[in-house]
Amino acid sequence: MIMMLPFLTGLVAVWFGVLGRRRPCVTFWLLTLVIFGVWCQYHMTSPLALSL
Amino acid sequence: MIFSRNPARGSRVLNGLALLGVTGVLGMAFAWQFIYDELPCPLCLLQRVAFILAGVGFLLNMRVGPSPMHYGMSIAASLGGMVASGRQVLLHIAPGDPGYGTPFMGLHFYTWAFIAFAAIIVFCVLMQSADRKWGDSMLKKPVSALGLIVMALFFIMTLANVGSTTLECGFGPCPDNPDSYLWLPSSAAP
Repeated sequence: MIMMLPFLTGLVAVWFGVLGRRRPCVTFWLLTLVIFGVWCQYHMTSPLALSL
Repeated sequence: MIFSRNPARGSRVLNGLALLGVTGVLGMAFAWQFIYDELPCPLCLLQRVAFILAGVGFLLNMRVGPSPMHYGMSIAASLGGMVASGRQVLLHIAPGDPGYGTPFMGLHFYTWAFIAFAAIIVFCVLMQSADRKWGDSMLKKPVSALGLIVMALFFIMTLANVGSTTLECGFGPCPDNPDSYLWLPSSAAP
């Protein structure tokens, strides 16, 4: 799990957004979202001290 | 179809303010990290990623005009951010738990993040209702000097987060309770 990876792909999405190039911006945004989801799953495995 | 050289100007100004707010949140977290020497945990970093993703929706609304898809991007990112911050709230919700980091105005940053993500969703829902007359466009729109400054600040904050996260975690995962930067000499060392 490379923690800086979603920041890097997010930075590329921001850069394309600033340039006004929507298609590559949205592509990198989606890639970042997928990495975000996978990293969330990786860091959310310990049980919570709660009774729901 | 609406023919205008500078359509939805008011809406794009409001999106600029929202982007400035997101940049302010990232800047605040970044300043706290260095002023109080509190390193962000993995969940805190993931919340920053969600703020960046939400900001990209506002950025596109400013650059190419408002679109339901851009608001959808900000809403989706905020829902993800609420999952990450909500999880952290639940981790520290038990009585006697001091929480992670120093509180700000009585609440920890992850609790503020949860509130901020909810506020972004409310903002997007209201703006999407007001912006429904504008069509989807991929053409660049003129942006004022102030708008360019806001976009540049957002880019710089994202770049700064890439740098600080790399310094903290290198090219690997971050520990759950980080106490030093991986790529910086530790202050505790002789």
